[in-house]
Amino acid sequence: MTIVSMKGIAKSFGSSVALADFTIDIRSGELICLLGPSGCGKTTALRILAGFERADSGTMLIDSKDISDLPPEKRGFGMVFQEYSLFPNMTARQNIEFGLRMQKIGGASRKETVDRMIDITRLEEHADKFPHQMSGGQKQRVALARAIAISPRVLLLDEPLSALDAKVRESLRDEIRRLQLEIGVTTIFVTHDQYEALAIADRVGVMSNGRLEQLASPRELYEAPANSFIAEFIGTTNTFSAQRRPDNKWEVLSKQLNSIIAPANGAVARAVIRPEQIALDVRDDGDGTILTISFLGAISRVIVADPTHGHIVADLISADAARLRIGDRVAIRIRDDVTEVVLFGVDVA
Amino acid sequence: MGAFLRGNRLGLIVAVPFSAFIGLFLIYPSLVVLFKALTPGGAFGLSAMTRALSGTYRSGFINSAWLSLASAVIGGAIGLALALAVKGMTRPRWLHTILDSWSAVASQLGGVPLAFAFIATIGTQGLLTKLLMQLGVDPANFGLSISGFWGLVFVYLYFQIPLMFLVMTPAVHGLRETWREAALILGASPLQYWRSVGLPLLLPATLGGILLLFVNAFTAYSTAAVLNASLNIVPLQIRFLLQGNVITGEEDLANAIVTWVIILLLLTLLLVTLLQRRALRWTRS
Amino acid sequence: MTSQAAAQKRSHIFRAAFLILIAGYFALPLLAMARFAFQNVPMALLTPEKLLTGWSAAGLQTALTDPQIISATWTSIQIVVLSIILNLVILVPLAIVTEVRNPALRPIITALTLLPWVIPPIALVVGVAATFRIAAPWFLASNLSLVPFYALWAMPFTYRLLDAGLRAINARTLYEAARGMGASFPAVMLRVILPNMRSSMIASAALTTALVLGEFAFASLLLKSTLPTEMVTFERSDPRGGLALALFVMVFTAVILGLVVRAMRRRGLTFHASGV
Repeated sequence: MTIVSMKGIAKSFGSSVALADFTIDIRSGELICLLGPSGCGKTTALRILAGFERADSGTMLIDSKDISDLPPEKRGFGMVFQEYSLFPNMTARQNIEFGLRMQKIGGASRKETVDRMIDITRLEEHADKFPHQMSGGQKQRVALARAIAISPRVLLLDEPLSALDAKVRESLRDEIRRLQLEIGVTTIFVTHDQYEALAIADRVGVMSNGRLEQLASPRELYEAPANSFIAEFIGTTNTFSAQRRPDNKWEVLSKQLNSIIAPANGAVARAVIRPEQIALDVRDDGDGTILTISFLGAISRVIVADPTHGHIVADLISADAARLRIGDRVAIRIRDDVTEVVLFGVDVA
Repeated sequence: MGAFLRGNRLGLIVAVPFSAFIGLFLIYPSLVVLFKALTPGGAFGLSAMTRALSGTYRSGFINSAWLSLASAVIGGAIGLALALAVKGMTRPRWLHTILDSWSAVASQLGGVPLAFAFIATIGTQGLLTKLLMQLGVDPANFGLSISGFWGLVFVYLYFQIPLMFLVMTPAVHGLRETWREAALILGASPLQYWRSVGLPLLLPATLGGILLLFVNAFTAYSTAAVLNASLNIVPLQIRFLLQGNVITGEEDLANAIVTWVIILLLLTLLLVTLLQRRALRWTRS
Repeated sequence: MTSQAAAQKRSHIFRAAFLILIAGYFALPLLAMARFAFQNVPMALLTPEKLLTGWSAAGLQTALTDPQIISATWTSIQIVVLSIILNLVILVPLAIVTEVRNPALRPIITALTLLPWVIPPIALVVGVAATFRIAAPWFLASNLSLVPFYALWAMPFTYRLLDAGLRAINARTLYEAARGMGASFPAVMLRVILPNMRSSMIASAALTTALVLGEFAFASLLLKSTLPTEMVTFERSDPRGGLALALFVMVFTAVILGLVVRAMRRRGLTFHASGV
C-alpha cells in the first residue's frame, strides 16, 4: 500500500534547479534510501516532504491526502537531522519528551513512552545528560528516539550518520534498521554513502540532477542498473567493449554472454563487468601487469594495468590472490560462471 | 604570572611591558583612589564611603541606576529584536555592512555628536518637537524634556540599541536553524519553539548584554554633560566634585564615589563572565 | 493563499514595520542635525514651502577652517595613531605568546585585559587627578598624555579580536608545524602568524579610532584639547558650525568603518565589533 506519493515535484532556488519532475511512491512500512551525489536534490526532496520548503509545482499525498498546505508541525512526521539538532538546553530525556509535550500527551503515558524510547535506544546511562556531555553517536541515538517517540506516520532521516566516525556509523546504521523493522515505521533515509544505502534499504532511489533515476532493491540496482550513471555510481565497475554476434549473444573479452538489457540497436556496446566477475591468469605473454594487491580479508582487490583497457579492478578470493605478485604479467578474462552481462550503448557517456 | 616567567625569556619580554603598562596607568591611580577613599582626612575610616551613599549622592546613585536600568532594558529588548529581525536577511546586500559599521560608530563614538543631534531633534527648537506641535501635541505637556529622565533614556537608546545589537549578533547566529526545524516537526508552533528553545538559549547572553548596557549607561558622561542634563546622576556629580572649588575634605568624596562605582562594575563584570560561560556551554558543540 | 503562507507574510510585514521604525529612530536625529547644520532657516520659520531653501555648507566650512578645530583635529589624529600603535605593540606579542606558548594562562590574561572596562574614563579621571596631576604635572601638560589611557580602554576589544584571530587560524598548530619544518621563531612570527592577524589588527584599529574620536569625559575633565572637547567649545559660539562638524565626523568615521567591514567581508572574515 502506498503511503507517500510525490508526483512531478519541481523546485528551483534562484536559477539553480534542485528538483525537476521528482516522482516517487513509497509503500507503507518500507525503508527507502535516497542516494545520490551532493547537489542531486535528495535533501531538498526530504525538506519539501517535511514542509520546510515549498515545491514550485507537483503534488504530494500522504495516505491519499494532499499535504502541500500543511505546516511542518501538522504533518506528524519524525525527523533526524545531520547533526546539532538536539536542543542544547534540555537533557536527553527532555529532548525525547519534547514532541509528546507538544502533543499534550501527559503524565504516565508520556513517561512510559519516553522510558520505552530510552530503553530501545539503549540510552539508560545517558538519559539525564545534556547534549554537550554526549558523544556524536549518543546524540544521534537521542535524536532518533526523539523522532520516533511521537509515533510518526513517516520517519525522515537526513544524512543522520555523516558526522560520525566509521565504526559508530556502522553500528548506528544497523541499529536504525533494527528499530525500523521493530516498530515498522515507513522511513526515508537520505544519504550520499552507497554502502549505507545498500546495507539497510528495502529499496534505494538513486538521484541525479534533481531526478529519480531508478528506484529498486539494492540487488537489482547492482545487478541490473537502469543506466550507465547508476552502473558507475553503485559499486565499482570495469567497462569493456562488447560486439553483437549473429546469434544475438554478445562477445566480451572473447567470451559469449547474454545481455540483461540490450541496447536498442548497434553492433557494439559497452559491457559493465564487476570486479568479482574477473579472473586473472598468470602468463608470461599476458597483456596486463599487476600494479597493486590490497588484502581486504576474505577477498583481495587487485589492480591491473592493461594497455588496451586501462586500469582493471579485480576482486579475488584471498587464497587465490596469494599466488600473485606485484609486477606479474597476467591475462584478464571473465569468470566461467558469468553468463549474463549489462550493456549500454556506446554513445551514452 | 609565575608560570609565564619561569625559565621563559619570551614570556618575560611580553609580560613585563603589559604589566608595567596596566600597573602604572590603571592599577596605581585606582589604588590611590581606593586608599584615599578609605582614609578620609588622613586616618582610616568609612566616613567618606558612607557619605558617598547618602543625601544628594545617594539620590545620584539611585537616579543613575534607574536611568541605566530603563535604557538597558528597553535598549536591550529592541537591540535583541533587531539582531533577530536581520538574522538570515541576505538582501539588501549592504544591510549587514551598514548595520555593523553604524553600530560600532553609534555605540563607541556616540557621545558629543549624539547630544547635538538630539538637541536638533527633540530640543525646544527641534525638528520632532516642531512636527509634534504641528500635530497639536506639545511634548512638554507630558513632562518630556530632553534633559529630564525619559528624555535621557530616549537619547541613550541611540547608543544602547546598537551596543546590544553588536553583543547579541554572535549569540543569535549561534541559534541553529535545525533546532527550529526539529521543534516544528515535533509539533511545536513557532511560538512554542521560542518559549521552550529559542529564548532559554538566548537568555544568558541577553542578561549579560543587558548588564553591559547597564554599565555603559551608568558610566556615560558626555551626552548628559553636553545636554546639560537636569537629572542628578553619578557621572555629573563626579564632574562637580572634580571641578568645583570644593570645601576641604570633599575631595575624598569623589574618591569614595569612584570606589563604589568600581565595586559595582566589578560585580557586574563577574556576573557577565558567569553568564557568558553559561551561554558558551550551550552553544559549543 | 494558504494559511502557512499568510502567516509567513504577516511576520514579514511585522518585521519590515519594525525595521522601518528603527531606521526612522536612527535617521531622524541625523536628518534633524543635517537640517540645522546646513539649512539657514530657523525652525520657527520653517514651513513646508521653505523646505528646499537656504541650504548651504557654510557652517561646515567655518568649522573646518577654524584654527582651534584644525589643531584639535591634528591632536586627535596623533592620539589615534599613537594609541593604535601602543596598543598593538603591547598586545600583539602578548596574545601570540599566550596562545602559542602558554595557552593555560589565557583566562588570566583575558581577565586582566578586561580590567580597563571596570575602570571607565569617568572613574579613572579621579585617580589620575589624584596622582599624575600632583606627582608628575609635566606628564599631563601635553595633550598626548591621553595616549596611554586611550590605549588602555581599547585593550578589552583589541585583545579579544587578536585572541579570536589567533584561534581562528589555529596559531599553535601553525607555529608547531613551521618550527617542525625548521623555521626560526622570528621567521614564524613574521612570515606565518602576523600576516594572518592582519584583519584582527585592522578591526581593532578601526574601533580604536571610533573610541578616540568619541571620548569626551576624560579629555574634558583633564582640560585637554581634542576634537570632541573643542567641538563642544566651538558649538557654544557657533551652533550651526558645531553641528555640521559633529555630523561630518560621525558620518566620516562610519564610512571608513563601513569600508573596513566590507573589505573584511569580501575576504570571508566577520567583523565582530562587540567591544566590551
